[in-house]
Amino acid sequence: MSDASAEAPPQSAKPTVFFDGVSSRRRQVTLTLGDALDILEPGVTPVRWVYADIRRADSPPAILRLTSTSAPPLARLEIRDIALAAEIVARCLRLDEHQTTRRSVAKIVGWSVAAAVSIVCVVLFGVPLAADRLAPLVPKPIERRIGDASEVQVKTIFGRESCSDPAGQAAFSKLVNRLRDAAGLDDDSMTAGVLPSSVPNAFALPGGKVFVLNALLDKADNPDEIAGILAHELGHLKHHDNMRGLIYNGGTSFLIGLLFGDVTGSSAVIFASRSLVEASYSREAETNADTFAIDIMHKLGRSPKPAAELMFRITGKEGGSGFTILASHPLTEDRLARMTKEDHPASGPPLLTDKEWQALKGICGSAKI
Amino acid sequence: MNDMQWTPIGPSEPVPPPLPPSRVDFSGNRTGFRKMVTKGAMLELVTFGFYRFWLVTDIRRHLWSNTAIDGDAAEYTGRGKELLIGFLFALAILMPIYLAYFLVGIEFERWQGFASTPLFISFYAFGQFAIFRARRYRLTRTVWRGVRFWMDGSGWAYSFRAMLWGLLVFLTLGLALPWREASLERYKMRHTHFGDLQGDFEGDGWAFFKRGWWLWLLTPLAIVIFPAAPFLYAEFKAREWRWWLDGIRIGGVSLSSSLPHNAFYGLYWKVIGWWLLLSVLFGFYLAGAAGLVAAAGVSIAGPDAIGRSIPLLSMMVIGYFALALALNVVMRMYLQRDIWVKVLETVEVHNIGAAADVRASGELASALGEGFADGLDVAGF
Repeated sequence: MSDASAEAPPQSAKPTVFFDGVSSRRRQVTLTLGDALDILEPGVTPVRWVYADIRRADSPPAILRLTSTSAPPLARLEIRDIALAAEIVARCLRLDEHQTTRRSVAKIVGWSVAAAVSIVCVVLFGVPLAADRLAPLVPKPIERRIGDASEVQVKTIFGRESCSDPAGQAAFSKLVNRLRDAAGLDDDSMTAGVLPSSVPNAFALPGGKVFVLNALLDKADNPDEIAGILAHELGHLKHHDNMRGLIYNGGTSFLIGLLFGDVTGSSAVIFASRSLVEASYSREAETNADTFAIDIMHKLGRSPKPAAELMFRITGKEGGSGFTILASHPLTEDRLARMTKEDHPASGPPLLTDKEWQALKGICGSAKI
Repeated sequence: MNDMQWTPIGPSEPVPPPLPPSRVDFSGNRTGFRKMVTKGAMLELVTFGFYRFWLVTDIRRHLWSNTAIDGDAAEYTGRGKELLIGFLFALAILMPIYLAYFLVGIEFERWQGFASTPLFISFYAFGQFAIFRARRYRLTRTVWRGVRFWMDGSGWAYSFRAMLWGLLVFLTLGLALPWREASLERYKMRHTHFGDLQGDFEGDGWAFFKRGWWLWLLTPLAIVIFPAAPFLYAEFKAREWRWWLDGIRIGGVSLSSSLPHNAFYGLYWKVIGWWLLLSVLFGFYLAGAAGLVAAAGVSIAGPDAIGRSIPLLSMMVIGYFALALALNVVMRMYLQRDIWVKVLETVEVHNIGAAADVRASGELASALGEGFADGLDVAGF
């Protein structure tokens, strides 16, 4: 027995309270500081806490609240007397062992940074790779189903039916078929149509659907302009860009959301960083589709330049208007510059006769939107 | 006093049979809290937000352990690591659900354009479930006098009620809100326990409606006249808090509050003031950054503009993070701590003697619910 065993700590007016963790009864106790901490309540078997087991629990500033790893988990001893508290703290060497320390914070920071770096690497390298590898493997029926779904949406926006003037249809089919053959796409793998709309645009949907909006035809001066743009869209089909984009965007938005969680303003950060990586991914896909279009047009002995001129007529100069880093397409002037470089004099026959071209322009009938 | 075993030694404690209502005291230090959330916000920044689990835990530990009911402070025993694990589990469960949502959505869209929009509602239901389960986690980590609170009841049953009431609120343009809150609170409180005491909620929708119906009428006005909105919202929140506190029962213990209707005016306006000030500073910073970039002779126009807008963009990002960080601190100070303190100082606890000898029971709940709530971005009390 040590000499401290008999020492009776001064009991002051401030009571020591013990909660045994089994009932909410407030027990006023006295303490004896010997080999271990004895918690004494008249008429009740004393409770003994070994100093090594005693830990600090959260408490208001004026109270020392203790718990013991060998007692019921919610048993609490509350010491309000400062001198007594100091004596006990001096004996309990492992009092604060379980608390968050500088080292544990550093550990959290370290692991978080590691997790963030790995997520960023996955976003920059893993997801694009997965998208490139997986997109061609997506079964045709699934791709077609997704395409059907987006076609229904598109038609809800742009009007129910595609344009069906017979002569225009024939000209359009001829143009599309020539491009498709040059592109080496399967016969059954694509459908194309013209939709009535006042927006000059063209797009490809999953499952081999290509749509040209009527206003683009109105703005076009010759078949080569439309052909170049169709070839660009065929490039998207050939490269499975829709499925790649879907996988890529789904993957990155999930991962970026995971990274930023619910930090204040995180939705803005998530939105911005998503837009940034998705725009750069999309620009790359667009550049590749342009390359594809240039090849096709050369194969047909036509120049890719007219298509870029048509785009330039529609969009005008784009640089300098806002943050071009968020643009989903390369800037039109850059595309025009590139296509101009690839401009060769025509060596092949015209893709459509004048009559066919006029029929194509009238495919949506006289009904102007 | 016939039980000698219970008589304490030393100055004898007076035990008056009809106890006067006891108060709830808050002993937390505001500066300490500010330092904690500032440091926490910075750590959140360098950890890309992962520190949020530990910061939320620290905030709760501070608020709980400084809140003393009848002289005995509460304690929060939850830990950040539990929240992180709960979040990771929730992610593992949410991922296939998101995928299923996507695939089902496609089938709907094939049938009819935009037909999948109502599927969004299923996420609302899931969010309600998460709110219930998150509350269960927090309660089982709340300890007072060595006994924990706990909850039974089913998260899905709660979610079902919340959905039906939500529909009714929607159909009545918000008029049914008091009854929705009363019903949901009754469900939550009746499944709340402190040891072997069962909770209950006695507030009724009609009383809440009488306290706030005119706010409902004024809501369209607040949308038109911007400065009226914070006043209106502060009025609504104060009335809601008071009505809620007045209705709470646990065993024989009841609460009451004398929260004045204008209690939150100052707090909301302080937040708006800080927000305006910080936005102006951010605006100046942006202007300065743009000027600096322009002075350096970098134009964001012309060919290859994409590559050259990067310096300005990164300066914007840094400024934005600083802004978000500062707003984080402001909101936690005013909307969490100060509201907590303001509400607590008005609370009185009646018949606390009924909780003098409660037997501990109830099991710890997992943090999965908090994880879902985090993953779905829902919050509830």
